[in-house]
Amino acid sequence: MASQDKITVYNLADLKNTTDDAIPNYLASLKFTPSHLLTDVRLTLGFSAFALSAACFAWDYKLGFESTKHYTAFAVALYTILNGFLTFWIFYVEKGTIYQGTSPNGDKIRISTETKKNVPVYHMTVEVKDGKTGEKKTLKISRSFTEWFDATGRFVAAPLQTVLAQGVDVIGKVDTKRAAPAAAKTEGEPGPAAAVYTPEMLDMLSGAGVSVVGSAAETATGTETTEAKKAGKRRTN
Amino acid sequence: MLSALGNPRQAAAQLMNFGLILSTAFMMWKGLSVISDSPSPIVVVLSGSMEPAFQRGDLLLLWNRNLFAETAVGEVVVYNVKDKDIPIVHRIISKFGTGPTAKLLTKGDNNDSDDTKLYAPGQNYLVREDIIGSVVGYMPFVGYVTIMLSEHPWMKTVMLGIMGLVVVLQRE
Repeated sequence: MASQDKITVYNLADLKNTTDDAIPNYLASLKFTPSHLLTDVRLTLGFSAFALSAACFAWDYKLGFESTKHYTAFAVALYTILNGFLTFWIFYVEKGTIYQGTSPNGDKIRISTETKKNVPVYHMTVEVKDGKTGEKKTLKISRSFTEWFDATGRFVAAPLQTVLAQGVDVIGKVDTKRAAPAAAKTEGEPGPAAAVYTPEMLDMLSGAGVSVVGSAAETATGTETTEAKKAGKRRTN
Repeated sequence: MLSALGNPRQAAAQLMNFGLILSTAFMMWKGLSVISDSPSPIVVVLSGSMEPAFQRGDLLLLWNRNLFAETAVGEVVVYNVKDKDIPIVHRIISKFGTGPTAKLLTKGDNNDSDDTKLYAPGQNYLVREDIIGSVVGYMPFVGYVTIMLSEHPWMKTVMLGIMGLVVVLQRE
């Protein structure tokens, strides 16, 4: 699904970028329809600002400064406005949005993500708007990157998909396979552990030669967080 | 990132970010030009003809508007000689007449004679429009980098190499 190349696990930007890229892929596989409005507005603003400055460069180069300085003054002012609006758009409208789209059931979803400096935790903010009732809600999910990156820096899609399917019911309704363990594991511990380690992941782990201690620790955190998620999910519903 | 090539919007966004770095730098320069009304509001001193006021490598900030007073004798100005591309920074030592047609003569503080030999053939004086700005501020030594780069071209290669390395190693 995501690229199979390994990333450096110490590089937070790499961790975030790879995960950011994987989420739209996952939702596309669930037949979600993406909306590129935010990106398209940003690209339009940015490229028109660039085109303006390229034009300014061209007339300045060909005709010199004196004869064109009024146009240049106007171009500088317009460029400042365009760039200011672009900055506003990125910080106050997009706010780290990595995905915006509609589920096959007609529910709208918007996912924005962020990381805090030097902390390997992925903070997701999921805004959901029900297609039928129009009811809006906002979920916050924070998970450690260790849940879907193995020690060698390979991305493993399944755990991340499970987090999303179990944490966000709009996704869970479509991806019932990933969402299922959350509903079935009311008895206790073994359920979530089985959900966290899929056969393909175990396969990868055995290939990478990860230490037993590491895996055990991961299992423990996995269980804890899934448990916490379960509680969180009940509250929001 | 190579995986961005698969996604046209992501590739376009990266291209845009790179383009905006260049265009913002250019527009800031042009903004400074417009404010100071000078085609080149920042220049680097290339010769020692104005020592001890300015040394080689000093960065000069120019102002080309006569808001309160005309350009007067004693001001250090940067001018372009007709058909020559190198701006020269010297002091005005005499002025005949007023307004845009006033005849101006310049001389380097550290030179023995005035600038009539530096002017274009047949040109014996400057007028206001030859001047691209009066010096209003300076930063000592900062411009030496550009002198080094233009006098030792291999340094450009080294610097580009280092910058490329930084971009590759530090991708945020």
